[in-house]
Amino acid sequence: MSDYQVFIGGSAGSIAPVITILSSLPADFNLTITIVIHSGTDSKVSISEILANHSALTVIEIIDKEQFNPNTVYVAPSGYHLYVENKHHFSLSVDRKEYYSRPAINVTFSSAAEAFGEYCIAILLSGANEDGAEGLLKVKRHGGITIAQSPKSSQVDIMPQSAIDNRAANKILSPKEIISLLLEYNDLA
Amino acid sequence: MEEDNITETLRTENLEIDLLITAIKGKIGYDLTGYARASIKRRIQQLVIDENVNCISDLIPKLLYSRQCQSNFINRLTINVSELFRHPISLLRLRESVLPYLESFPRRDIWIAGCATGEEAYSMAILLEEAGLLNNTQIHATDINTEVLKQAKTGILTKGLNKEDAARYQASGGTSSLSKYFSTAYNKQKLSQNLLDHISFSHHNIIQDQVFCSAQLVMCRNVMIYFDLKTQNRALTLFNNSLVQNGYLVIGEKESLVNSPLSSLLTTIDEPAKIYQRKSSEHV
Repeated sequence: MSDYQVFIGGSAGSIAPVITILSSLPADFNLTITIVIHSGTDSKVSISEILANHSALTVIEIIDKEQFNPNTVYVAPSGYHLYVENKHHFSLSVDRKEYYSRPAINVTFSSAAEAFGEYCIAILLSGANEDGAEGLLKVKRHGGITIAQSPKSSQVDIMPQSAIDNRAANKILSPKEIISLLLEYNDLA
Repeated sequence: MEEDNITETLRTENLEIDLLITAIKGKIGYDLTGYARASIKRRIQQLVIDENVNCISDLIPKLLYSRQCQSNFINRLTINVSELFRHPISLLRLRESVLPYLESFPRRDIWIAGCATGEEAYSMAILLEEAGLLNNTQIHATDINTEVLKQAKTGILTKGLNKEDAARYQASGGTSSLSKYFSTAYNKQKLSQNLLDHISFSHHNIIQDQVFCSAQLVMCRNVMIYFDLKTQNRALTLFNNSLVQNGYLVIGEKESLVNSPLSSLLTTIDEPAKIYQRKSSEHV
């Protein structure tokens, strides 16, 4: 299992790039991936079900205290904030919404920064509000690798742009470039 | 250099959190040590922003010397989110699989642990009423927070009945109109007195106190997610010990027995519905 952990956050317009990324990763991809996407409560199909159809990796919707495993994609359940409790497991909560969202990306990124420090790779994708920028900055301050989806490749650029504006992003990449970067880190493992 | 500072800041923050938790325990008697660390930390950090102080330890004198801050801190650090007919699929299965079992007892006790503002207990009273089981049933609703208990005791809903409540009620197998169980005055809705009479509200701390009652059914949903693993196991042990043989336990939609040694003492009745049954002693 790689020391590096990948965290991906997004909102409006982020499902498509997440599918692009996941469908390009091989079944032996060694880094654990955790995905937090804002979701409307009315959607009947869960995000994890959609993603499972596009990934060679096991896709799991997280339950409370779920443990990290390699070759696995973890998805935050709708209606809960997702915390990285420590290096071993997640925890969930129904604390108040942030940026009208639960899960909120800042919650997951901030706790991931504290748990994994420089081994945290955080990626902020397309979205229509500013959630995620503060969490991405925290990952950067803890020595982690921070990526914002390039605004021109984003369906809605407010979310990645706000991370670029507050200088939270080490790199500004298109989904294709994000895939290349992830595969490089996989080869290191 | 930067990294050393970050490590040092984390260490200092953790120390401050420990000090604040010690102060809360000493001053108010609430023990937050068994709470999951990451989420309690974020709630504390939000309190720092809202109280307009510089750091976590600045909260300590406020806590020690202001009664108003004490109740505000407790309300902010413990979670009191609830709604009527939460996780309706679970309640539907409860109607189908558990209520017929309760019918076999002449007298019934149900423990709702962590009842917050009462919605969980109100929903249970309605389920029992519809199954014709409310008579001879006592619902024991407990919470750590005396303020929310005061609210719960009134039977008055904190939020007015809405379409989502009605939809969850129907998804739980309800066939009447949900509003018939509530009276409305001054724009507030109150649970009918004959239902409310079957619920007792008491103070109980899952982390520190002993078994509250002997029960055929224990329900504790979205409370254990706030605890660390050790405290979750303590809570589950408490619930298991309070159940009669073959009694039922219901937990929250995203909660799990997977990490608990208690799972060997309980039979899974319905995993998605989160319904479990205590094994009778000859099977243990």
